[in-house]
Amino acid sequence: MIEPDLGAPLDVHRATVLPEWIDWNGHMNVGFYVVAFDKATDTLCHQLGVSWEYTRDKIGMTFVLEAHVTYDREVKEGDPLRITTQILDYDAKRVHYIHMMYHADEGFLAATNELMLMNIDYETRRSAPWPDWAMARLEKLAALHARLPRPPQAGRLIGIKKTHGPRPR
Amino acid sequence: MLVTLSYEMPELVTRAPLDIHRSTVLPEWVDWNGHMNVAFYVAAFDQASGAFMRNMGLGRNYVDNKLGMTFVLETHVTYDREMKGGAPMRFTTQLLDRDAKRVHLFHEMHHAEQGYLAATNETIVMNIDYASRRSAPWPMQAAERLEAVWDTHKRLPRPAKAGRVMGLARK
Repeated sequence: MIEPDLGAPLDVHRATVLPEWIDWNGHMNVGFYVVAFDKATDTLCHQLGVSWEYTRDKIGMTFVLEAHVTYDREVKEGDPLRITTQILDYDAKRVHYIHMMYHADEGFLAATNELMLMNIDYETRRSAPWPDWAMARLEKLAALHARLPRPPQAGRLIGIKKTHGPRPR
Repeated sequence: MLVTLSYEMPELVTRAPLDIHRSTVLPEWVDWNGHMNVAFYVAAFDQASGAFMRNMGLGRNYVDNKLGMTFVLETHVTYDREMKGGAPMRFTTQLLDRDAKRVHLFHEMHHAEQGYLAATNETIVMNIDYASRRSAPWPMQAAERLEAVWDTHKRLPRPAKAGRVMGLARK
């Protein structure tokens, strides 16, 4: 397992908008924002020691229970992406976190993705407590991330009544 | 100025919920956990939003004729059950709300043969002017069709999974 990165938020994931992620509107399709975010979730899981090897070695898996995406600005083919991750909460089996996607050069916020991820036992494919090593890392990182302000995009309710843009929670 | 749609409109479906979109889980949507990856649920739901927009008269023609586009502003997914490669999907769509530029949709994805609920997706879609790439009112024909759809959809009960706020304490 790698040494966990103690920066808060986690700011290690980088990506590029691939040609096959572009739709007929000439920008990254809504589904592929989530592809990009899911790879950032892999980066978080790698920090916790529950990524690809965890599944390859038939120990466990992690499943997303729920996701909320805000699409804040378009990104185009070839655009460099920087994705940061903030842990908001966790319990014995789950972690609640939010990714922020930025254009890596221009700096603007392109999208956010709030997620609930659950640990899964490989054999039963049912929820199970985090393995000890993951729990220890989760506690450590969550304590560091707890000092960050809560992003306004976390905990949003979808609706049409208010004007679009950053809204009070 | 409202855009006029000069191409032929499809037959309007007002039955509520909209129950016309069908799809299949493609092999390339399956991840190392052996099931449809979270992102491709969103891609699949986006196709269902496309079916809703086509019913409003805002399909591929709308973009190809450089009249306008529709952009998703926000989306919320609940992952209720796994779907494997090749699984047939049936989508139903309920219009929860609408205004001059936006629709608030609620999709349910079911396994088309086994019937179980696989996921839900609540989403806001906005009309966009082609040239400026900024929000704009629905074209008149689309607005009329939307009102006809709203007339039947507004009578449906609100889905239990709509309007969720994420958190650990609530469970």
